[in-house]
Parts: sequence; structure tokens; C-alpha cells
Amino acid sequence: MVRKTLASATFALALAAGSAGAHAEDAPKTFTIGAHMPLTGTLARSGQAFDEGMQVAVKMCNAISPKYKVKVEVIDDESTPAKAVSAVEKLASSGAVAIIGGYGSNIVGPASDASDKLGKTYITAGAVSDELTARGLKTFFRINNNAGYERGIATLLTDLKPKSVSIIASTKEAPALLAAGLDKDLTAAGIKVTVHKFDPAITDFKPIINKIKLQDKPDIIMMSAYENDYVGIIRAAKVLKPNVKLIVGTWSLATPKMYTEFPDLMGNVVGTSFLPFPVEVKSEEGQTFAKLYKEMYKKDIEYLSTLSFVETMVLCDGIFRAAEAGTLESGGLSDEMRKTDRDSLLGRIQFDQTGDNPNFSLSMGQHRDGKIVLVSPKSAATGEIVYPGLPW
Amino acid sequence: MSHSASHPAAGSPAGSSTARGIALGAGLLVLALVPLMVGASPYMLGLLISALILAGLALSWALLGNLGGMVSFGHAAFFGVGAYASALLAARLNVPVLLAIPIGGLFATLSSLAMLPALRLSGPYFALAILAYAQIFRILATELDWLTGGAAGLQRFPSLPTVFGLDLSERAGSYVLVLACVVLFALVYVVIRRSHVGTALRAIAESEDATRVVGVNATVLKTWMLLLSAFIAGVFGALNAHIIGFLEPDYAFSGIWSVMPIIAAVFGGYRTVLGPIVGAVVIYLFDQVVAKSLIPVGHQILLGIVLAVMVLVAPNGLSGLVARLFPRSEKHHAEA
Repeated sequence: MVRKTLASATFALALAAGSAGAHAEDAPKTFTIGAHMPLTGTLARSGQAFDEGMQVAVKMCNAISPKYKVKVEVIDDESTPAKAVSAVEKLASSGAVAIIGGYGSNIVGPASDASDKLGKTYITAGAVSDELTARGLKTFFRINNNAGYERGIATLLTDLKPKSVSIIASTKEAPALLAAGLDKDLTAAGIKVTVHKFDPAITDFKPIINKIKLQDKPDIIMMSAYENDYVGIIRAAKVLKPNVKLIVGTWSLATPKMYTEFPDLMGNVVGTSFLPFPVEVKSEEGQTFAKLYKEMYKKDIEYLSTLSFVETMVLCDGIFRAAEAGTLESGGLSDEMRKTDRDSLLGRIQFDQTGDNPNFSLSMGQHRDGKIVLVSPKSAATGEIVYPGLPW
Repeated sequence: MSHSASHPAAGSPAGSSTARGIALGAGLLVLALVPLMVGASPYMLGLLISALILAGLALSWALLGNLGGMVSFGHAAFFGVGAYASALLAARLNVPVLLAIPIGGLFATLSSLAMLPALRLSGPYFALAILAYAQIFRILATELDWLTGGAAGLQRFPSLPTVFGLDLSERAGSYVLVLACVVLFALVYVVIRRSHVGTALRAIAESEDATRVVGVNATVLKTWMLLLSAFIAGVFGALNAHIIGFLEPDYAFSGIWSVMPIIAAVFGGYRTVLGPIVGAVVIYLFDQVVAKSLIPVGHQILLGIVLAVMVLVAPNGLSGLVARLFPRSEKHHAEA
């Protein structure tokens, strides 16, 4: 009786083990992607938006890949370089195959250095400093850069042929870099440029606007700054009403959110943009992203979420290709990333030897009664620019 | 006033206190070397390095507060100046990094000379003046872009070198270097504290007018403490810069470098030498390891609660709490 029971038990165990083994063979292999984001601290809002785009991308990657899956482990870097480095080290030690970087060159620089030392591929959409790609890291990739923003804005401004432009620039790293580049480009195009730098701590822009109104008398005011600064600058301009024809800004300005929160300030204001609003996405991938994003977060896709969506999709592609080639474990991911050549919501994505995306360029969108019309470059335009056009 | 200073004639208790201090310091040093012996991960060593950088800064703050009687809200200025000076010297003039770091400290000391007029102030007025200095240095670092790289900062400057086969730029090497610096400055602090100058300084902190009456030049002594405190903060700023490998004005002169050392020193007990060091390590590791694993986003709330409880329960910090929990018996003193 005992022997019979033991035999039955052994058979049952063998069956269970066999079935488990077969199940393990069929089960898709899951890879962990590590990410450090500023979920608290001064850049928390940006980090949150990045996280949202990343989560949608992971969902989409998993839906289209039967053989491999990815999961993402996010650590809050608290907008601090040392904590971002710690996050990278922790993620690498817990088995992450690659790292998605956070926001700001001050964070991404040290974190990507640490990632390189650990031999982990690192991708970012939140750091535009030229210094990052000058380091010669073989594991570093980014999909956007200062040159792309500069090209998008300079194209619009030179097409409008203004006599002079006043640039109001935050002394923070990315806006300062952009302002310097635009100063050079526009001056080379024969446009008179005056740059007014301001400390990010200031909130009253009336003295700067007054100076622009009385001294510069430009055709266009260009803002190289962030959301809170735009609001302060346009509010001051609305009070002092300088005799200009257009107000142009950069990132996170031509967004539905800005119009919803400040409808009285956004009329005819122009900013960098990927897509018109209401969102009109032509590609299948973009449509799925917009639909899933709305389902998950009950809102339309945002600027920063789109950036992180694209970088995550590009990374997933690379991981799946490297896994298929059997080189993922042996450090082949960076080589696969370098072979990237795909279309995306940002246009064509490729990486040069420095890890930069040479194709990155942005369209310019104009706020029009709650809608955003793409007005530049002509190849991407969905409507004509209103020029002169002001919020007052 | 400390126990030993209160009873200078009682040789035995003072000797016992010294022996106990040496034993405690040696014990903590051995404890600090455990992560290397057990082969801690780069992640854990990275956390410890950050904690020790904070410890060094907290020590420099406590030295100024405890011996100089000055409450500083602007140590970020010294930290940032040391960081920039060292990074620029190494990058532009090819000064060896291990030499650039103490020179960075000297630059921080020089920068503190600009604060000498503020020594005439006391209490909140001194604190506010030094806070303003920190802002001035941040703005200078942003505006002098031909030198500092402006808002974009510096990203390409030499990291720590390899010495006697030990790569100081690797986590283990950096840890040893930062730990050695903390130990060195703690010993300097102990030596000053136990000297006649230290006694005079503690007396100044209690009552400046009274010490002036007995002929102590309070201004000169306070100046020396300010210079030394700035030097220590500058050295740790320089170390941090070469370890992180990036500098920008908002980071180098961040208010964090002014506030965190105060929290660490008060938490550990700023009246003692070991208090600020232990306080910095405990709060940093508690925040990053314990609190962050419990509440991944917004874990600072736990740290805030712990700090609030600590201030209420033990206003003299961890060292005060330990002294209260393990009081030295009179019998033990008599025997010693």
C-alpha cells in the first residue's frame, strides 16, 4: 500500500515538474528596465509626466511581444545627482538590463556615468546639454537634444523675417543653452537679437518687459524658460503691452494644459510641439499610445509623456532584438541600440556614434481658442500662422 | 560646558572620558570599515559615501556652532566654492586632484574672509547674513560663465586618481578617502576642543562679554573657527564634486548643503564631536534605506516625523539620548 502510494506520488510529482518545466519553457522571458525619475523635489511634475509615458510604452511593448516581456522598476531620484547615481547602482544590482534616465543634465550626467561604469545601456529624453554626448560614453543614448529645439524655433523665426527679436532667458542650464544657440543662429540670419537673462527665482517680469518695450522694440519676444516663467512673462507683457507681433516660447508651452489653466494668456502664443490639438496622430503606434494614455490617465497625451513613451519604445525594441540575437546578457544592447532606425511620434530615430539622435527636430504649435495648430515647419504645418497675433 | 571642563582638577574622570572617547571612536572606525570587509555593493557604498560627505559638512557646521558660537545657514557657500575651485583647478590648470581638493578648501577659506564683517553680528542676524552670502556665491557661479560654465555647469573634469593601486574613483576607494577625511577632521576638532583655545571658545559661546572681560580676544578666535569651518566644508564640497563628476550652481550652492548639516548635527547632538557624524550617517541611511523602502515616493515625511520626535524626546540629540539612557555612575567615576 505504502509502495503504491509512493509510486503514485512520484508519478504525480514528475507530472507536475514536467508540466512546470514545459510551462517555464513557454512562458515569455521578462526583462527589468530600471528608471530613475524625479518624482519628488523641484522637478517632480516633469518626473510624473515621464513616468506616465513610460508606463504606457511598457504596456504596449508587452502587448506586441509574445516571446519577451519587460517590466519597469522606477526609483525616485529626488532631483538630486547623488541619489540618481545611487538609484542606478541599486537598479543595476537588482538585475536591470538597461536604465531610463531622469530629467535635467545635472542628474543625467552623473547617473549615466555610473551606468556606463556598470556596463548598462542608458537612454534619456530629459537632458539636452551638448557636454553629455561629448564624453564618448558607449552606453549613452538620447532621443532629443538642444540642436533640435534650436532648429525648430530658428526655422519659425527666420521664416517670419522679423527685424529684431528679444530673448528672455532663464539662467537655468537648458534655457540658457538654447538662448545662446538662438542668439547665434538668428544673428547669422541678419536678425538683431537682444538677450535678457533672468534668475529663475524672480517672478516679476515687468522690469524686463519694460526694457524690451522702451529699448529693444522688437517684432518678436522669445521666451527660453519654463512654465511658471512663461506665465509671469506673458502676464507682465499683457499689462505693459509692448508693440510686438508675436510671443514665442519653448517646451511645455503649446500644450492643452497651459490653455486650460491660463486661457487668457495663451491666445496666439507659439511653442514647440509634436502634435496638434485635438490630437491628430497618423501612425498606428501613435494612435494606440493616445488611446491607452487616455484610458490610463484620463487625459490627452502630454509633451513630456510623449518623449518618455518614445524613448521607452526605442529601448524595448533594442532589448527584444538583443535578446533574440542572444547578446543581451553579454553587453550587446548598446550595439543593438546603435542600429536603431525607426519612425516615431518625434520623427525618425537613429543614433550616431555619440549616442545622439541627429534627426531630432520639433514643430511649432500656436494656441488658437483651445486648439493647437502646427504652424512650422511648412512640411508639418496643419494651418497658417496668425502673425501678428498676441494674447491681448 | 563639558563635564571635564567643569572639573579640571578631577584627573581621573577626565582620563576616563578620554579613554572612553578613544574606545568609542576606534569602535566606530572599525564599524565604518565593515562594509569594505564584507564587500558591500556599489549601491551601499555610494549611500555611505553620500552620508559621510554630509557627516563632514555637519562636523564643519557643528565646529562653528559649538566652538565659535555661530549658527550658520550658509555652509552651502563654502561647500560650493570648494567644489568649483577644485574642479576648475584640476580641469583648467591640470592640478593633481588630490592637491586640488585641499586647495579647494583654501579657496573656501578665502571666501569666508568676505564674511568677517558678519562676525560682529550674533544670533539670527549672523545666520541671515551668512545665508545671503551663499546666494551671492550661487549667482556669481551662474554669471561668471567664462570661468564656471554658467548655468550649464561643468561636466568634464578629472575624477579621483589611483593611488598605490587603489582606484579612488571606484566606490571602495572613494569610501576610504572620504572616511579618512572625516576621521582626520574629527581628530582636528577633538584637539582644538581639548586645547586652551577650545576652552576659551566654549566660554565665548556661553558668554562672549564675560570672556572679553577676562582678556580673551573673541573676534580673533571666532575668525579662526570660521576659517577652519569653511576649509572643512570646502574640502568636502571638492570631494563630492570629484566623486559625482558634475557641477552646476544650483547643485553646488543648493540650500540642501546648508540645511542638511544642521539637521544631522542637531539629530546627532552638535555639542559633541561624534554627534554630527553619527547623526548624518543615521539620518541619511534611515531616509534612503528604511524610509524609501517603506514609502518610495514621499519618504521624507518619515524622516520629518523621526526628527520631530527626536527633538521633542532628546533635544540634545542622539548623544544626549545615549548619555541619558546609560548614565555614568558616580561609583564608576570614583573608581576611575
